[in-house]
Amino acid sequence: MALTKDDVAGIAEYARIALTEAELSDMTTYMNDAIDLLEPILGYDLDDVEPTFHPIGELANVARDDVPVAGLTLGEALANAASWRERSFLVPQILADGGAA
Amino acid sequence: MRKLSEVLHDWEAVIGLEVHTELTTLETKMFCGCRLSHDDPPNTNVCPICLGMPGALPVPNRKAIEYIVMAGIATNCEVMRRSMFYRKHYFYPDMAKNFQTTQGPVAFVMHGHLDLEIAGDGAKERPDGTIEKAIDGSYVAPIRILRIHMEEDAAKMVHVGGAEGRIGGASESLIDYNRCGTPLIELVTEPDLRTPEEARRFMEKLRQTFLTLGISDCSLEKGSMRCDGNVSLRRRGESGLGTKTELKNLNSFKSLHDALAYEICRQAEVLEAGGTVLQETRHWEPSRKRTVVMRVKETNDDYRFFPDPDLAPFDLSDEFIERCRARVPELPDTKRDRYVATWGLKRSDAAKLAGDPAVARRFEDASHGVKPQAVPMLANVMLNLVPAYKALTLLQITSITELLAADALSFSQARKVLEAVDGTGKMPLAVARDWGMLQSNDTEALAAVVDEVLGRCEAQVQQYRDGNKKVVGFLVGQCMKASKGAGNPKVFNQLLVQKLEG
Amino acid sequence: MTSLDTLTARQIAAGIAAGDFTATEVAHAALDAISARDASTQAFLQVSENLALEAAAKTDAARAAGESLPPLAGVPVAFKDNMNLLGTRTTCASRMLETYESAYTATCVQRMLDAGATPLGKLNMDEFAFGSTTDSSAFHPTNNPWDITRVPGGSSGGSAAAVASGQVTLALGSDTGGSIRQPASLCGVVGMKPSYGAVSRYGVVAFGSSLDQAGPLGRSVEDVALAMNALTAGGRDRLDATSQNCAQDHLAHLEDPIEGRAVGIIPALLEAEGLASEVRTAILDAADKLASAGAHIVEVDLPNMASSIAAYYVLAPCEAFSNLARFDGVRYGYQEPRCTTLAEQSSLSRAHGFGPEAKRRQMLGAYLLSSGVYEKYYLAAQKVRTLITADYQRAFAQVDAILMPASPTVAWEHGAISDPAALYLADVFTISNNIAGNCGISVPVCLGADSGLPIGAQLQGPAFADAQLLTFARALERACHMEGIVAPAFAGKGGELA
Repeated sequence: MALTKDDVAGIAEYARIALTEAELSDMTTYMNDAIDLLEPILGYDLDDVEPTFHPIGELANVARDDVPVAGLTLGEALANAASWRERSFLVPQILADGGAA
Repeated sequence: MRKLSEVLHDWEAVIGLEVHTELTTLETKMFCGCRLSHDDPPNTNVCPICLGMPGALPVPNRKAIEYIVMAGIATNCEVMRRSMFYRKHYFYPDMAKNFQTTQGPVAFVMHGHLDLEIAGDGAKERPDGTIEKAIDGSYVAPIRILRIHMEEDAAKMVHVGGAEGRIGGASESLIDYNRCGTPLIELVTEPDLRTPEEARRFMEKLRQTFLTLGISDCSLEKGSMRCDGNVSLRRRGESGLGTKTELKNLNSFKSLHDALAYEICRQAEVLEAGGTVLQETRHWEPSRKRTVVMRVKETNDDYRFFPDPDLAPFDLSDEFIERCRARVPELPDTKRDRYVATWGLKRSDAAKLAGDPAVARRFEDASHGVKPQAVPMLANVMLNLVPAYKALTLLQITSITELLAADALSFSQARKVLEAVDGTGKMPLAVARDWGMLQSNDTEALAAVVDEVLGRCEAQVQQYRDGNKKVVGFLVGQCMKASKGAGNPKVFNQLLVQKLEG
Repeated sequence: MTSLDTLTARQIAAGIAAGDFTATEVAHAALDAISARDASTQAFLQVSENLALEAAAKTDAARAAGESLPPLAGVPVAFKDNMNLLGTRTTCASRMLETYESAYTATCVQRMLDAGATPLGKLNMDEFAFGSTTDSSAFHPTNNPWDITRVPGGSSGGSAAAVASGQVTLALGSDTGGSIRQPASLCGVVGMKPSYGAVSRYGVVAFGSSLDQAGPLGRSVEDVALAMNALTAGGRDRLDATSQNCAQDHLAHLEDPIEGRAVGIIPALLEAEGLASEVRTAILDAADKLASAGAHIVEVDLPNMASSIAAYYVLAPCEAFSNLARFDGVRYGYQEPRCTTLAEQSSLSRAHGFGPEAKRRQMLGAYLLSSGVYEKYYLAAQKVRTLITADYQRAFAQVDAILMPASPTVAWEHGAISDPAALYLADVFTISNNIAGNCGISVPVCLGADSGLPIGAQLQGPAFADAQLLTFARALERACHMEGIVAPAFAGKGGELA
């Protein structure tokens, strides 16, 4: 079932990518074409196949010691930010609530 | 609204908790080497990794994984050898990457339980007949734990331009990434809790357990331990689940209890009026003692979970798990039972001492400095006297305990002595002697006081001789007054009776 | 008088050590070559003159102090602009990061510097590495040094063009689905995609985290092997939890004969639709040359390779969506001015900061990861990945390397292919290698019989057999006589070393 413009608009809203009406049409065409390209993987019977999320063989349990390492200075941290005030990053009004943790 | 006890008579509350605990006793964050900041100025402890700068990659803190495995072992969980980190996406700037690194369907530890002993008034919240209770009304509630998973905490946001730093009405927000990336473990219970008291007790027991493990400072006030509650109601006898609401801002044991109690009564009122409970997140307002809607959840959030390709999977070895097991110290319940068995402490006193690892450690250290039969008095001192003072030394504690155990001081005298020695190197014995308090057991000295009192209280002496034995209490009081409180009332009593009978 | 572009990395380092010329002279020659040539190729996004001269001065001071010099001492190198280097911007050829100053240095970059290389600057690429032409750079296209009306390939097109035009001796690129090997093939240089985990990804701006791998491009297999030594020196990078210890001397067996060893070819692949006949001829000819060198040519089959494009175009967009979610204009990057709400600011910053392909890939990824769709595509693709990996394991039980094209055609003209889906299909020869995490290398074998443009042959090897793969690449290079070639229009233009 093909994605509609409404579907694509919903994804764009979630992905925080504002699209103009014309871009939305193009994007819908693109997405449906791209999804058609994925057809080959739908033909498999994969019930008994384990996924390979990490192409790293048997490598596991990679971790580091709990030892502090010097980070960035405040100036370095804020250097690339377009908006900040005193010691903090600054964002405009947040209407929706959030924060899952 | 009806009272909780009435509501719970008709309705069964189904409560589950989600408890987030920051592993504050670690040195560094979950995925980078930044120090954990507690009160540092904003954006002091940040680096390319926890700021999510382009190209930066996470590497997990091994000790954090040891800690969560210890937490699982201490809560009777199964250690899952194979698990992975996942990415949980949501666009919100408190997460620098716009995803949180957390765990997927398999957590490091799963399927545990804690058994809660509910006694006293709190036990009355659970209607009789819904669980087996002891003669004194207490009962044991086994609470299953679904899982404890590892994740990272979010940044702190300060909302400015609105009321009280709340998000609603704020015109802009400031972000401090110091907390972003702090190792966080999230425990999710099964919906096995049935009363606000059980929920409160669960949280308390979990806190005692984590404190004993030394994995966190577990401060509800500062937010290093945070609890959300889910609650729904169903008619007694039914087995389906009602629509649940999620409660936030439960940042004290009292808030946890009171918010759940309020919410249970609120839902009952809605349902009894023929309404429906909406699936929503509600905020507890402690000052107004009510919950208010934060947001209505119409659909489940789609977080686009998938395994984090940057983090190698975990396949914990027997050796690793056993090393974690060996690091789990004696837990509060075991410690309580040992205190009762070894020294004959009252079970409730033993539980209180065992529940706080710092107190328990001090108590056990001090126990070596007193006679075994004085240990119950030591427990009394630890629980009822010591907390009122700033810096009592172990020797001061054992000294005052011995004096109290030998009846050489009264509790009120002991308080005065401790006040004087607190924060100094002075010994209670020496101070009490200097102040003449210790003469109180000196029979000869006290006999002089008794003679003086008997001499001027002829009327009472006569009453006694006429059979009013109770009047001796008045005479003891007079002796205490005459000795300026320094005499041992028991010795006065003995001397008075001797003389009056003699 | 010698032109710098005639020297190999080893010759430059040796010349500096011997006092034939100084690192500073080499740096000036490289800067001179860039100013003479880059107006035509447009390979660079930034030239880091100061960093280059500082590094060269350090090398010269070390020599003056009698210290022994590191293996790449004074060798001019430049980096794809998705690699962080302190003192430079890291733009990923995107408006989103147009002014982004690197806050730290990537491990692969640092290791090249530790080996003594002189950093000349940052190279153009497809925006965020999404593409195979370098035309999607937000700043300017890069031209193929063999014909400047044509694309250099991509996404590491700037890296391939800078090396092919002789502006630098070595460059680093990154390869998520062929982004080193394909431009190397189109520009006539050697480009290696190391095994996944062999080179640290720390500091390389992520596209597809389970597919990305940084690697070197050079004008000879030996130069690339020297760079591999530098990139793997020091072993596993503790800052990349998926990196592994691959430190070894990649030169030790470079000249070993391949007599009696087996090289696979996949006949079905050479009949693939869209494969240019001159490319097919070049690959069959390369097979003959390997056979002449004593290798057994063995037919092998990768039955699930046909599904690799589909699997890749699930995995790569999903990982890209996730990796690029952080670009919201808050901590760094383009921020839309005058927004009244955060949602508006994020959505417009991303809409105006990202180019079309970056948006397309993220949109596709956001869809494919959504609940209910994830199982159908993402999980399935990761299982197909298991099948593709197993195919390779079976093949590598029979052969040490597999020979195939790196690109179905030679370089095409700018703008000749505009349909994104058609461009995706051109990745057919390269992406299965990323899916399996194996190593691969493109070696120039000839100029096309029809076009006169370079054609590379790709060799793929099993994971962590990078040194062995280089041995086969060197054998092919010996037989093909394309070593050290600079695109004729640029050879010797500027860059004289006194």
